[in-house]
Amino acid sequence: MGYVELHDINKHFKKFHASKDINISIEKGKLVALLGPSGSGKTTILRMIAGLEQPDSGEILIDGKVVNNTPGSERGIGFVFQNYALFRYMTVYDNIAFGLRVKKIPEEEIRDRVRELLELINCEGLEKRFPSQLSGGQRQRVAFARALAPNPQILLLDEPFAAIDAKVRLELRTWLREMITKLNITSIFVTHDQDEAIEVADEIIVTNLGKVEQSGTPQELYKNPATPFVAQFIGHSVEVRNYEKFKHFNKQGENSIAYLRPEFVSIFKKGESVQFANSAEEAIVEDTIFRGSNIEIRVRIHGNLISAIRSINEPEIRVGELVDVFIYRLYVVDGENVVLATNDSITDEDVVI
Amino acid sequence: MGLRKENKVLKIILISISFIFLGIFLILPLIYIIVTALRDGISGYVNAVSDEYAIKAAILTIQATVWAVIINTIFGISAAWLITKYAFKGKKILSTFIDLPVTVSPIIAGLIYVLTFGRQSSIYPFLDSHGIQIIFAVPGIVLATIFVTFPFISRELIPVLTAQGTDEEEAAAIMGAGTFTIFKKVTFPHIKWALLYGIVLCTARAMGEFGAVSVLSGHLRGKTNTLPLYIELLYQGYDFTGAFAASSILVVLAIVVLILRLVIEKRGQKDLDLNK
Repeated sequence: MGYVELHDINKHFKKFHASKDINISIEKGKLVALLGPSGSGKTTILRMIAGLEQPDSGEILIDGKVVNNTPGSERGIGFVFQNYALFRYMTVYDNIAFGLRVKKIPEEEIRDRVRELLELINCEGLEKRFPSQLSGGQRQRVAFARALAPNPQILLLDEPFAAIDAKVRLELRTWLREMITKLNITSIFVTHDQDEAIEVADEIIVTNLGKVEQSGTPQELYKNPATPFVAQFIGHSVEVRNYEKFKHFNKQGENSIAYLRPEFVSIFKKGESVQFANSAEEAIVEDTIFRGSNIEIRVRIHGNLISAIRSINEPEIRVGELVDVFIYRLYVVDGENVVLATNDSITDEDVVI
Repeated sequence: MGLRKENKVLKIILISISFIFLGIFLILPLIYIIVTALRDGISGYVNAVSDEYAIKAAILTIQATVWAVIINTIFGISAAWLITKYAFKGKKILSTFIDLPVTVSPIIAGLIYVLTFGRQSSIYPFLDSHGIQIIFAVPGIVLATIFVTFPFISRELIPVLTAQGTDEEEAAAIMGAGTFTIFKKVTFPHIKWALLYGIVLCTARAMGEFGAVSVLSGHLRGKTNTLPLYIELLYQGYDFTGAFAASSILVVLAIVVLILRLVIEKRGQKDLDLNK
């Protein structure tokens, strides 16, 4: 029995079917990501849990109790909005204290609690500032503190990192993950960024077109995509229609399509020791993209532009060079089935997934 | 450099045009009002201004203005809040109808109320039997003033509330704040300056209203004559000193409103800069 459960939830916005038979179970203390492309219904799910939207049918349970008719403010929820929705005309202190004042907690207790939270978010000394006088990262932390102030059982975050620039985003991700682990609060966050979900979440719920496609740990989603959507959505997949032309891969079904991720491909310079020399494809490098921490190399094999990642510590590969390409595995989607196809020449070597 | 020089010439031309325009259309008439008002000397002016009927007219004008501002403030806030924070059927229609008084001639507004509450109306017997007199009485004047100033406050508030969105209200609601607390603590600070600005505009418009009020008033001297009507009356009677003296009261009131407007705009701008 999960701490937060959704049973057969349906929700329409006028004619738009935003949530279709949603069934979710989230365990206490877990950090869960709702991941999906925009318009996939992930925010609607979050807002229904928060009581900001009412489902048309189905039940929402928190701690075993149906909360459909309980107002959001009595569900023990803290909510961090996408653009933080800090009260612009209140100081940081008043923002954090707001939820406590509404609950008519004595002002002394409020003072202690706000101080404690400011310390937690490393924003001591900022209590007199207005939100407009804070950096993006500070705003997010204040929004986090404000949501936590009344001691909620569940923390909901709507695209918590979307409004922050890339560098601070990485820092905040780590920070948020540590904070949530430390507080051991059941947390659900919405994101369209799979790297974010994979890095931060214990568990990911993938949504698409109003439905839940799959839920599981990041590893499970990577290893066993349950639906064609997950297979092509997770990882930076390339669609390959004629995968049977690749050495050591056999056609599975008549209309099957394969998805190939960069991490399933290795590219070697000619003459580099290749573990599976005979099974490698030869290809010409079409493009190389320096990514700072690594280099993406693109080659064309049997008409498919395939990407692979190469370490910056390895010898440089140039555009136009003839290289050996080894494909470890790919996902074959045959109708509604997804099968992981492994290169036949691999015999249970030590590979991570 | 060339561009700068060109700009300078253009600037001088634009400034000249603006000032000549203002001079001919505003300053000159205002000077003329004051000069004519003082034509019979200070004592003549004082007599005209302190005339019993002039004072009664001024009081009635202020009375109608205060009523219009209070009622339109309440209505304006409610309508603006409804239109910006809720989704409902007929929202577009409501929002269009609010603007109607601006597009309809005030005379028509006056006639509408005469037809609605006058002798030929089907609710007249009811009003009459309860001793309620609307047409050719103070309530009619108040009604007419409310009508013509109807959209002023809501139109100021709607853009501000739209820009703000509903996130802050939702955040407050999730933390358990009630509707009144949300309005007082979260929404009101956003609309404070726009509201004051709307009130100022509404006041200015209410004080000067002539057409609709003229139809509904019945022109009873000392009873249902507002300042603009009183001025018209004196003017038609060739009492130019009296007419222009009474006008000068309206002018002074207008200048007070103008100064208030400036102050509010400045304060509001400061507040906005702080919270951008």
